[in-house]
Amino acid sequence: MKAFEYFEVECEDAVGAESYRRIAGDILGDLDLIKVIGRLHIYIDPKVPLFLAVGLTRKLPRRVRLREFANVLEKGDGVVIDISDETHLSRLLHILWERFGRDQVEQPDRWTIQIRGGGADPSEIEELIVFDPTESLAKDIIYAFQYIAPEGFKVRRQLVKEGRFYYVASENTLDVDEVDRLLAENFAKIGVNE
Amino acid sequence: MTLVPITYKGGVYRHDEVVDLIDDLGGYVIQKHQLAQEIVLQSLVPKEDIDFLRAVARPLAGEVIEAPLVGTEIAVISPSLEIHHLPHASCDVAEYLRRVGAKTNVIGLARGFGKRIANLNLEERDVINEHDCAVYLLGNFEECIREKLPSLRRGVTVPIVVAGAPSADRLKEIIEPPVEGYVGGLGRVAHRMRKEEELEPLDRVVDEVSSVLSAYREEIAKDPLSISPARLMVVIDEKMHITAESTHPTPITVQIAGLRVKVDYEIYADELRALEIEEGVTVGDVADVLPSRMRNYIWLKIRPFSETNVMV
Repeated sequence: MKAFEYFEVECEDAVGAESYRRIAGDILGDLDLIKVIGRLHIYIDPKVPLFLAVGLTRKLPRRVRLREFANVLEKGDGVVIDISDETHLSRLLHILWERFGRDQVEQPDRWTIQIRGGGADPSEIEELIVFDPTESLAKDIIYAFQYIAPEGFKVRRQLVKEGRFYYVASENTLDVDEVDRLLAENFAKIGVNE
Repeated sequence: MTLVPITYKGGVYRHDEVVDLIDDLGGYVIQKHQLAQEIVLQSLVPKEDIDFLRAVARPLAGEVIEAPLVGTEIAVISPSLEIHHLPHASCDVAEYLRRVGAKTNVIGLARGFGKRIANLNLEERDVINEHDCAVYLLGNFEECIREKLPSLRRGVTVPIVVAGAPSADRLKEIIEPPVEGYVGGLGRVAHRMRKEEELEPLDRVVDEVSSVLSAYREEIAKDPLSISPARLMVVIDEKMHITAESTHPTPITVQIAGLRVKVDYEIYADELRALEIEEGVTVGDVADVLPSRMRNYIWLKIRPFSETNVMV
């Protein structure tokens, strides 16, 4: 697993900064997000109090299509899918059930799925996207920062978009202009200038 | 006769002989755990008989370890029961205190998190006050500890030990009025503390709690209790068969100056008050039988000799 390109925790309280560095590292490691986040800067001001994190996401692993781990054959009036890797099998079954109905999709053994009846086009099925890592990314990153940020900081502003994310939290009302200024300032520290 | 708190660890085989011996020596077994083939006895044993007990335990492959916190009930207070504070460090601290014999209760506050918004409700305050000592596990920033501790300790009358990430010296400076114990270098963490340098603050928690409680014991010794809590536990258990009929790990929890009896107050309080200890002295004569704020239990507060003029 490749570590962060850049990871800093900025805080006046040196002990607190070091603790939060460790906490963020542990949590992102536990949630398997270290390889997803490239650059990360956390700014904490316990006086306000304010917790602010800005970062960049790395290029994600690409989408997984059915043809990458299975062969699709036409057989009689249906289609037989011959699977070589089970990693995405449960997700694939859900997609097929949704599309063709449970009674049309059968799995006679571990490595085979049969789709009965017409309407199934093998070349189209081959191109089916089974797993898209970007789908849950925003949710995962926000969850991770909710977990990292001190508890009780329920006033929040957050965004995950186009390779960038931020998470700002406090127990007091957030001043929009002040937060914008801090965001721009901290994004500049990870090399993003608007 | 001075009773010393110890933990006996050994096999199941012939462990009843050890239990009988402790009883014959005039000591008390406060808690008995059986973990598969292993037996752990938390006990109080007369100081001069410890070597004798060791000698008896040797052929049984038993081990006698000094456990300074046997016979105490300690509240480990976490700002909440959210993922931010559990299982680390609250459970790590609670478990560590248990290893030296304490009965620990983790108290997750309803609204103990945050800086300005932290507070303590009346039920929490009363539950904490039923313990021998309260260990507050606070966070990583001086600023927050300074601001939130006053609201978290409001109305708490038992000795307080505060743990936080700043050093103990810094904690002493920022906490006003002072508390009884300080442990630095132990704030919020998101991993299990297992490395040596991480276990060191846990050892300091044990040391700090032990010294706070020995000061408390000395204070009590100036006006001794009318009955030793361990003895009262044995008397109550013999007459009311509480351990035999309960599924609690500690059906009667021993504290420094009291007991928590885990039976329904409404049903058993009168029976308990009228229970005779010896020569006409009843439990009601030497202790206040109170409803505990913890579930529907009974909390016994043993009165000092100066109040009762009775010593049993």
